[in-house]
Amino acid sequence: MPLICDNIAFTYSGAERPLFTDVSFQLTTPGFHSFFGPSGVGKTSLAKIITGDIAGYSGRVSTAGLKTLLYSHNKERLPGWSGVDRHLTRVISPPMHAQKDELVEIFGLSDCITSRFDQLSMGQQNRVNLIRYLLQDCDLLIMDESLANVDELTRERIILAVKDMFPDRYFLYISHNVIEVSKFCDSILVFCNNGRIPQTVMIQGCNIRRGEDLSPTALDAAMLEIMNAV
Amino acid sequence: MLYRRIFQFFIIYFLFIGGLMLLKYSLGLSDYVIPAPSGMFHILTAEYHRYSLATLNTMTVAVIGQILSVIMAFIIGILGRQSTWFGSFIKVAAFNIQAYPIVALAPILFILLGDGFLTRLLIAAMICYFPVLLSVLGIMSKPVDDIEHFYRVTGRMRWQLEVKIRTFENLTQLTTVIAGSATLAMAGTIVGEFIAANAGIGYSIRIALYQSDMGKILIALFLIGITIAIYQAFLELLGAAVKRAWTGK
Repeated sequence: MPLICDNIAFTYSGAERPLFTDVSFQLTTPGFHSFFGPSGVGKTSLAKIITGDIAGYSGRVSTAGLKTLLYSHNKERLPGWSGVDRHLTRVISPPMHAQKDELVEIFGLSDCITSRFDQLSMGQQNRVNLIRYLLQDCDLLIMDESLANVDELTRERIILAVKDMFPDRYFLYISHNVIEVSKFCDSILVFCNNGRIPQTVMIQGCNIRRGEDLSPTALDAAMLEIMNAV
Repeated sequence: MLYRRIFQFFIIYFLFIGGLMLLKYSLGLSDYVIPAPSGMFHILTAEYHRYSLATLNTMTVAVIGQILSVIMAFIIGILGRQSTWFGSFIKVAAFNIQAYPIVALAPILFILLGDGFLTRLLIAAMICYFPVLLSVLGIMSKPVDDIEHFYRVTGRMRWQLEVKIRTFENLTQLTTVIAGSATLAMAGTIVGEFIAANAGIGYSIRIALYQSDMGKILIALFLIGITIAIYQAFLELLGAAVKRAWTGK
């Protein structure tokens, strides 16, 4: 099993109550998976526990099948001393430069790729940041609201392209968009609110790929299941 | 920037002279205590050349001292930025040593090194070094997480890149601190000259003090002020040029 989380519990120091307890799930197949739930329930904290950025939790995290795990989020910035394309070229290995150009095109960034990071809109900044993470050598990429401030059509185009271009990679997509996670994700770990037990529920999404037809009934069922769980 | 600095200096200087004249004429003080404007003009024309050279001499020492102190502050700040034992030691040492007034150490330097160029340079560098060091240490010790995260998790972070990111993100603050330290360097040099040196405008002020010549002191203050104003404006222009070239704004 590439990723196993078993009975994870975590409390921030100084907090009166644990952020979450008894969180267990497994990811067995590559593809798009998701953490979904209201703000403040611990999605980001769990993601950071998985990547090893947070210690002091109880339970077991096994990433034996995954060599490199990366966590990216939507508040990241690129240094401002040169253009975005120059930065991307420097942090992406030369064999992947063709893929970089392809992603720039798909992500709709061709017109602004020579601009400096702070000259871009927030949506453009998030897309640029995601490109540099996608083209790193990793087995699991956590995308914490990495497509925030991007319009729906572009987001859909990006997710479908990423699924096509990186079929062997695990993605953990943290989002607040119920339609998006239901439509594109395979496993969805839903964080429940208001102290409900269990605190998390794993739900199967529609996991559609490029060219596949989406069954409205299946989408409705997945969305309903998620909303009931929350 | 240059004209604004000079204009600001003129306002302050002439307000100060105006205050002195008000004091002189309201209390009926003699020209011996506070010279009349005509007397000051006479001293200016008589001493202008000698005092200008002395001020330039002091300024040269202050500039070299400031450059040395900025270089030293960056070296120590970069070494002390990490949260290691060595980094903590440097930070604690810097905070403790700067609490001791450098001026109090000046006589020791004069005894050990004599009253020449090197002593003045050391005092100037030491006086403006610690404020710059504390700023550089603060800037270099504070991670810019939203930029550095990527380089850390992908194993691309090198100390040079870390320093570059933190310098770039705090460029305005660094420019302000360096421009501000020019005044400290000048003050340090003058204090050194005033204590025991044999050259510079501080030395000239000491002689004027022994002669109780207020006019000469006021002319020296004018030349010191205008020189610092021009030098600070130059540093600010340089900082703005570096910022424009680096950030594209």
